[in-house]
Amino acid sequence: MLKKNRKASAEPPAPSMPVAVDQKTVIGDQISIEGAIRGKENLLIEGSVKGSIEVKAHHLTVGVKGQVEAEILAANVTVSGRLAGNINATGRVEITKEADFKGEIKARSISVEDGAYLKAVIEMEREPLKSVSPSGKPEEKTSSEPIKEPLILAGKGSKGN
Amino acid sequence: MTAFTADRKNADLNHDPGVVGYSSNALKLFMEHLEQRPERKLLDVGPVCQENIRFFARRVKKLYVCDMFIRLDRCIRKGGPVDPIWEELDYPPNSFDGILLWELADRLDDPDVKRLVTLFHTLLRPGGMAMVVVLGDQSGSSAANAFVVAQNFRVYLRPQPHLHLPLRSRQNRDVLSMMAPFIPAKSFICRPGFMEFLFKRE
Repeated sequence: MLKKNRKASAEPPAPSMPVAVDQKTVIGDQISIEGAIRGKENLLIEGSVKGSIEVKAHHLTVGVKGQVEAEILAANVTVSGRLAGNINATGRVEITKEADFKGEIKARSISVEDGAYLKAVIEMEREPLKSVSPSGKPEEKTSSEPIKEPLILAGKGSKGN
Repeated sequence: MTAFTADRKNADLNHDPGVVGYSSNALKLFMEHLEQRPERKLLDVGPVCQENIRFFARRVKKLYVCDMFIRLDRCIRKGGPVDPIWEELDYPPNSFDGILLWELADRLDDPDVKRLVTLFHTLLRPGGMAMVVVLGDQSGSSAANAFVVAQNFRVYLRPQPHLHLPLRSRQNRDVLSMMAPFIPAKSFICRPGFMEFLFKRE
């Protein structure tokens, strides 16, 4: 039994099987999953997933080949493939230029590359209304220059259109 | 038209003299109007960029982004009619207090502009406002740009090299005519030669 286990672990995993690499599970491009996924490590999806994904304290990546239709709860999310669904992230959401995203994003921070195919609803904690001086110059208390750091989005309120 | 390049994306736009931008009076009025609305729902049809998501999402209750430029580009590349892209704007009537069209109309033929305007008139709530930018004859380039909003309503252009869209230059009167269902509220001529328009729904 022990030998068998040793032998099994020494062999490379069969292609298209979920594999754990450096505490990351990879769902390969030949894998389709329907249902709920819950985990306590990082997850990379290059295959097809439909349902829900919960990796609360970890990073979910939808790779360029990934096709996901799911409600997502994660610490951080990177989307480079196709994702339809709502993202609820406690940390950062990154949408790359290869991504095709449709859904709602609630996250503490978000980055979007130019060229991303995007249809999204984004909610965040609104900054206090700025008064406009008689000269017409808005008195900005918070900077709105192009961001160098991830922007902070604090999701709040109801979903959908 | 001078524009800043993508590799200067992170430059300080407010202080870099090499980056060309302009102060958008229309955008300032647009946001002031939006902030008076109880729901403050805004639709931005793109080109979607990170800076604008940050700028607008912090000022409205709900920000909707639907990049129609990239959808139009893909449709044109396929060589078919552009009709399918309008299905993406499948929001219920009276959904928005403000719509940012930027220069989308300048990328469409007259019949498609008519369809776009009719659709947006339906999507905008009574009293809501739409902002339109027309590049005009002085644009000097047909390249599509993101209108990147920075501090104090400065707007900068960032080329979008992935977009290959035709440019139909329209005159002031053409714009007023094409936006006919709306009431013209304000128009401005901006430094790079653009025209900015604000339209209101009754």
